[in-house]
Amino acid sequence: MVGLTRADDAGVYRINDTLAIVQTVDFFTPVVDDPYWFGQIAAANALSDVYAMGGIPKTALNIVCFPVKKMDLGVLRDIIQGGVDKLKEAEVVLIGGHSIEDPELKYGLSITGFVHPDKILAKTNLQAGDRLILTKPIGTGIINTAIKAGLAPKDLIERTTRQMAALNRVAASVMADFPVHACTDITGFGLLGHLAEMVAGSDLGIRLSVREVPILPEARAFAAMGLIPAGAYKNKEFRETLVHFSSSIDGLTRDILFDPQTSGGLLICVAAPQAEALVQKLRENGIDQSAIIGDVIHDPKHPIVIT
Amino acid sequence: MKEIDARGLACPAPVLLTKEAIETENPAFLKIIVDGAACRQNVCRFLESQQFEATAEQHGNEFHITGKRTTDGPVGDKPAEKAATGSKKILVLATTDRMGFGDDELGRKLMVNFIKTLKEMGPNLWRLIFVNNGVKLSIAESAVLTTLQEYEKNGLHILVCGTCLDHFNLLEQKRVGHTTNMLDIVTAMELADKVITL
Repeated sequence: MVGLTRADDAGVYRINDTLAIVQTVDFFTPVVDDPYWFGQIAAANALSDVYAMGGIPKTALNIVCFPVKKMDLGVLRDIIQGGVDKLKEAEVVLIGGHSIEDPELKYGLSITGFVHPDKILAKTNLQAGDRLILTKPIGTGIINTAIKAGLAPKDLIERTTRQMAALNRVAASVMADFPVHACTDITGFGLLGHLAEMVAGSDLGIRLSVREVPILPEARAFAAMGLIPAGAYKNKEFRETLVHFSSSIDGLTRDILFDPQTSGGLLICVAAPQAEALVQKLRENGIDQSAIIGDVIHDPKHPIVIT
Repeated sequence: MKEIDARGLACPAPVLLTKEAIETENPAFLKIIVDGAACRQNVCRFLESQQFEATAEQHGNEFHITGKRTTDGPVGDKPAEKAATGSKKILVLATTDRMGFGDDELGRKLMVNFIKTLKEMGPNLWRLIFVNNGVKLSIAESAVLTTLQEYEKNGLHILVCGTCLDHFNLLEQKRVGHTTNMLDIVTAMELADKVITL
């Protein structure tokens, strides 16, 4: 129903006037050392695409690539346990899966959910005047690089892990009561990459206020040390032409805005008059770093302007 | 010059290799070869965060990054920082293990006395470099070994010529200071306010 010509978070197939199914798949190599938490993060990340489409996830299939000869099967058990526990929290049933032997460990899930055909939240359906809300701070790609480098302190690893493992479920259910026009979740393309997807090829643009964007405080220091994932530079190279930065924004901040996220927050486009109320409701429900980060404008000079 | 070949390595490995080299060898100059634009940016950023001036040249798919130290010592609250707060930077280059010509026995005694008295320069003493026969003062049998170790503990940079150690077959006997090379020595001479040669 949303088609493939413009990128979206998941595929949608209409069953009848009141029901469509949303399907998505995502898997990746470990982002944290603890297998149980990696399982949780992978599941939260896969479920997120369904939430971002306005859907409710229902069933899941595991996807496992595992180096049986090199690694203890206990690791795999812990990963799957992490995934199962996260699915339970989301009230999603694991109905099967498939595993293959692979020299490099990978885990993820395919998720199927339900959505009312009239309530699909495509990422490109934003309207001029909408305000943009982000529900999780960015910078996890940089922190994950610092973790890989062995430079992240234990408490930071724990905080970032918990953030990545947090479901976007509450945010999704809160936004369902508001006039939301479009939504996506922030993952590998980084905040600016996903914003670019929302407006590329349209006559709409985005004005982003960098001061309002929640950024993990440690990410800046690690970025200054050159612990920026290669993906951030690729994202920047790919989308830079759409973005106009105010001259006061330093290079480090520009790169952080392109930092690829693992299981990032939802980026919600909501009708302006309800934006403040939505942020307040999100915060009341524990999504306490939610913030209004920008506006959608008509016929812009540059697709994305950052001040 | 310290050279790191980080070709074929993905982020953050090149940064980590650079970090390790700076922490263990404290070079004034270093060169890192990487084969990706992202690694180039990251290594340059890291060098700049460590008070190095970074320049990168592209050769085909490779980037040759050169880092040149812009301050005296490693960043952070290390003894070296304190030592570097002296108003002048004095470099003492010891090319011999004895002072002056004439009687070698006397020369050795004078050298011991000289090294022990060097501390009177206070924080102005910035680098102590041993070359040629001078490297023999840095080995296990040296009469001033404990004095030099004490200086190093208090933050003085002691550099010992690697070629010279190798020449005398003493690489394994060195007990104080960092092994260094001619480029580091020349750079240190350029940065110093005063060079005293023995």
